[in-house]
Formats: sequence, C-alpha cells, structure tokens
Amino acid sequence: MVAAAEPGISAQQPKEKVDPIRWLKENLFSTWYNVILTALGLYIIYLVAAGLYQWGIADAVWVAETRRECLDKNPNGACWAGVFAWFEGFIYGRYPLDERWRINFGVIVLVLWMVPLWLPRVQGKIGIAASVVAFYPFFAGYLFMGGDKSLFLQVMVSIAIVSFIGVIVHAVIGVTSGGSLARTLLRLTGVSGAGDKLQRNLLIIAALAAVAIAFMAQAQWEVPTVSWVRWGGLFLTLVISGIGITTALPAGIVLALGRRSQLPVIRVLCTTFIEVFRSVPLITILFMATTMFPLFLPEGFTLNKLVQVIVAVCLFAACYMAEIVRGGLQAIPKGQYEAAHAMGLGYWRMMGFIIMPQALKFMIPNIVGNLIGLLKDTTLVTIIGLFDILNMIQAASQDVPWRGLHKEPMFVGALIFFIICFSMSKYSQHLERKLNTDHR
Amino acid sequence: MSTVEVQSIRDKEALASAASTEVIIDIRAMNKWFGQFHVLKDINLSVHKGERIVICGPSGSGKSTLIRCMNRLEEHQQGDIEIDGVTLDTNLKNIDQIRSEVGMVFQSFNLFPHLSVLQNCTLAPIWVRKMPKAEAEELAMEYLTRVRIPEQAEKYPGQLSGGQQQRVAIARALCMRPRIMLFDEPTSALDPEMIAEVLEVMIELADTGMTMLCVTHEMGFANRVADRVIFMDEGEIVEQNTPHEFFENPQSDRTKLFLSQILAH
Repeated sequence: MVAAAEPGISAQQPKEKVDPIRWLKENLFSTWYNVILTALGLYIIYLVAAGLYQWGIADAVWVAETRRECLDKNPNGACWAGVFAWFEGFIYGRYPLDERWRINFGVIVLVLWMVPLWLPRVQGKIGIAASVVAFYPFFAGYLFMGGDKSLFLQVMVSIAIVSFIGVIVHAVIGVTSGGSLARTLLRLTGVSGAGDKLQRNLLIIAALAAVAIAFMAQAQWEVPTVSWVRWGGLFLTLVISGIGITTALPAGIVLALGRRSQLPVIRVLCTTFIEVFRSVPLITILFMATTMFPLFLPEGFTLNKLVQVIVAVCLFAACYMAEIVRGGLQAIPKGQYEAAHAMGLGYWRMMGFIIMPQALKFMIPNIVGNLIGLLKDTTLVTIIGLFDILNMIQAASQDVPWRGLHKEPMFVGALIFFIICFSMSKYSQHLERKLNTDHR
Repeated sequence: MSTVEVQSIRDKEALASAASTEVIIDIRAMNKWFGQFHVLKDINLSVHKGERIVICGPSGSGKSTLIRCMNRLEEHQQGDIEIDGVTLDTNLKNIDQIRSEVGMVFQSFNLFPHLSVLQNCTLAPIWVRKMPKAEAEELAMEYLTRVRIPEQAEKYPGQLSGGQQQRVAIARALCMRPRIMLFDEPTSALDPEMIAEVLEVMIELADTGMTMLCVTHEMGFANRVADRVIFMDEGEIVEQNTPHEFFENPQSDRTKLFLSQILAH
C-alpha cells in the first residue's frame, strides 16, 4: 500500500470507507460459484417472503365475525379477524374484563419503578433494584389477587407504596440536579449540618412516618378478589417466568456456593438438591407438585395450584442456574482468590466484591440463555391445566365461532415470544459490552 | 556504583537493622507436605523488624511456599509460625488479623480486572480497616504517587503495562499500611525493560525501613538492599548470610552450583 510507505499516516489505523458496491462484489459475487449461491439464496428468500406476504397480507381477511366468514371471503389467506377477537384473551387470559386495568396498572408501576435503573444520573441503583425485588411482589400480588388484606400484607403494601413514590421522586431529583432524595430532604428541613447519626435517624423517622400515612391511605383501598383460576395468557406466563427469573439467580448463587462449600453437610445437601432436581424433567416436577405433593398433605388442606407451580419452576430454574454460576466461579483464576485472601477480606466480602462480579460477567450469555429457556419452558404449565398464553391460543381454536383456527394464533404467539426473547438477548449483548472493562 | 559506596550503604543498613532487635516473624521447626511430597523441611527462621531478606534458590525449592505460609495462603502441618506476636493456626480471626498486617505482591500481579486502579487500592482499607471512602482514596493516591502512577488511577488494570500493574499491586498492598511485605517473584513475569521500574519502587520501599521478604532471582537487587540472603534447595534453608559473604564466599556446594548457574549469563 502506498499509505504504509508514508510514516505518520501508517501510525494511525486507516478508517476504511464501506463502499456498498465493492462490498457486494467482494462478498457475494467474487467467484462463479458465489454468484450461483447468492442467486439461490435470494430465490429462497423470495419464495418465503412472497408466500408470507400472499398469505399474511394480500389474501388475509381482517374483518369477520366467524371463521366460516373468513373462509368464504378468501380461503387461502390468514384469518386475522380471529386473532383480533381473541387478542385480549392471549394477553389477559380469562381475567374479568372490568378488572383488566389492574394488570395494566401493575405493569406500568413496575416499568416506572425500574426505569431509574437505566438513568445515568440516578444514584443508589442497587437500593432501587432491591426495593423492586423486595416490595413490588407484595403490591402486585394484592393488586392482581384482590380481596381482604391481612395485617402483614397491609404493612408490606404500605412499604411498597412509599418506596415506589420515593424511588420516583429520587429519580426526578437525580435527573434534574444529580442529587439524591435523602440529601434533598435534609437540606429542605435544614438539618444537613447535623451529625451523621442524627441525619440517619431523622431519615428513618421520615420513612416510618411516610409508611404510617400510606398505611392509613391504603386501608380504604380494596379491589375485588380475582381467583388465580382466572389468571391466564401472557400475563400468567410473565408472572410465572418473572418470579422464576428473579428467584433463580440469587437461589442459584446460594446453591452454587453451597456446592463449593468446605462444610460437608452443606455441600452434600446442595449437591443432592441440584442433582435431583436437574435430573428430572420439568414436566415431571410440575406433575409431582400438583398431583403427588397434595397426597402428603393432611386431609382437607388444599394448596393453591398456581403457587405450587411457581415454587416448582423456581426450584428447577435455581438448580440450572446453580450449575451455571458454579461454571462461572471456576473460570476465575486462583490468583484472584489469593489476592483477596492476602488483603484480609473475609469470605463474603471476597465473594461479593471480587469473585461474583467477575464470574457474573463471564456468565451473562449463559444466564440470559437460561432465562430465555425458562420463559419458554413455562408454556409447559398448559399440560397441568393453567391457561397461559399457549393454552389460550389453543382455546381460541376450540371457540365455537373460530373452531379450527390454529395457524394465525400460533403465528402471533411465536411473534410475541420472539419479541420478548430477542429483546432479552439484545440487552444481554449490550450488558456484556458495557461491563467489558478487561480491554483484552 | 563503586564497591566502596556499596559497602558504605550496606554498613549503614547493617547499623539500622542492628538497632532493631524486635523479632517480627518467628518460624520454628516448620514442616509442610503437599500430599506425600515434603516441600518444607524443618524450617527455622526469625526475622527482625525492618530487616530485608531475599530468598533465592532453584525452582521447586519451596521458597514461594515458605512465604505463602506466612500469611496462610498455604497451610503448614508441623511447627509454629508467629507473626508479630500472633500465632498462625486454624483460628480464622488470627489469620485475618495477620493477613491485614502482611502485604503480598504476586508474580502475576493479581489485580482485580473489574475494578479501577483506585478501587483496587481502596477496597481493603474501606472494608477491612473500615476507613471512610474519602480518606481511603487520599491514602491510595499518596501510594500511587509514591509508585509514580497517580495519573493512571481511573484506568482499569487491563489498560496498563505489566510494570505499571505490578507497581499498582505494590501500592495496593501498601494501602493497608502493612508491617511486613512479602514479594513472590515480583519481576519474573515482566519484560526486561519493566523490571527496572518495579525494582526501583522496591528499593525505595526498602529505604523506608519496611520489613521485606522477597523471593527473587534479581541478584543485583539482593546485593543492593538485602540484609540477609537465604538460599533454599529441596525444601531446606541451605545457607543464609549477608549478601557480601553470600556472593563472595558461599559455603555449601549447592550454593556454589546455583550461583555459578545464575551468574553465568
């Protein structure tokens, strides 16, 4: 190259301009067999795309009352009218029509609560994440189930309301001024000059007062009961897999550390637990949880089937996660442990600050792969009679006006799963790039 | 440096170390096995406060294992190790206390790649010494300045050269204000041009009166800073002497053979 002969220019890596025509020439039409392969590839793409277009758009029926009407209008096209009629069912299952706002509201609260985690100027993100995991389930649990609140649930709901509002205010302050809620409160009340201990105590008192007010306010709030039997659709799928995903990682970490423990009792317990649950298919575990487990319970004592299913999914997911975490831990060089030991860091600090952050970073692709698998595996609950999205799709094809409508709902279901899973995958790639501080 | 100068420096140091008779490391009849393999045989060693000791010997002679026993990265099976008045045994509290008083620098640096240079240095002071963050950062900057890389504080270890990483590792150990520093072949993984910068930092550290035990093959360094050179072979301390005597007048045949091999090139 000419450029390389000139010093100064060669010192910088030349930035190549992408010339599309040249790129095509080099990559797709470089030799005669590449030309043939390219042509063949284009032809196959054309066949698929044209077929999809013809079926899904050109010949499709958008408005109809029944499947019969669809077929009469155009027997070759997709009958999207049926999907429209059932779409809400796919999302909410058989949740009562008048109460569906509760699901929307719950989702909006969750999103708002988590948005601050991605805002760069907001501080204390670990605390925000912890508040979501610790308190949102109580709030959402009551919101979705409704009915009477026990005293414990009332307290937890109050705490959840206070932390949600606190997080939102904190995030607004963070974005506008880069400060935090605590410091702003102290400044506004004019006690920021006081001692650390006093400041902390005042903040605790303020939080307790807020919880007390929230407690009064929520006492009036009551929503009608919606039995878990009516939960369904994408909502149910996300509830089961969401709980599974949030418990799998912490539980997996605990199990993995237990399996590597030096204490024989803990090690044997964790190893047995992992091996037993991992060696049994999920579907068997689901059946055992719902049919066999009640046999061991005292007579007249019935358990909520949904709770049993969720527990089973969590245990199963935790065991898989434990093995992923163990693999990640083994990838950490011995020198990292030794350096941490040599500084006098104890076991938990070494794990928390040195080993786990590095191991989790290695594990991101595996963890996300596992979570995607978990999301898809939850469709197995169809078999034990829960109406998750897959079962709702099948229900659509058995509904009298739409009997036999299989392809279109399945296509939509696949699309929904693809969108969710692909976003997870993309996000994990983004995380990997962001956390890559090794520069190797 | 002329021989006279070296001699005078050594005399000064001999005086300095002679002033302190406080024993800070005391190892008595210590034995260690790796399975069937007897790695350390009947080690007796006492180190005075402020003493600088270089440990050398062929590979596999147990020199690294010896210093790794001093902060319990390796467990010994027989005998006693007493560090600064605390006996090393299975008592975890004692182990943690000794580890926080003993700094260690490794051959492969072992910096934490996910933390910045500054965070590498402040982690242990904050969590083990319970130092406020601002104070820990100030301390870290002081030591990073001393090892001449304050400008790299915000970078990650992966962005530094080997020599820079090893200097960060030294600063990180010093941030705990240790009473003893252990060096496990600190320059063996470095390119020749980077060895000098690390040795320079170590020499400066020696001048501050730090108690240092250093496993190294850098005989020039041994000659210049050590109060005592210990030669190990097959798990035994074969010979120990002042550097002058050690290099000029080795006693055992094994030492002579080792010196002839190491000084031949």
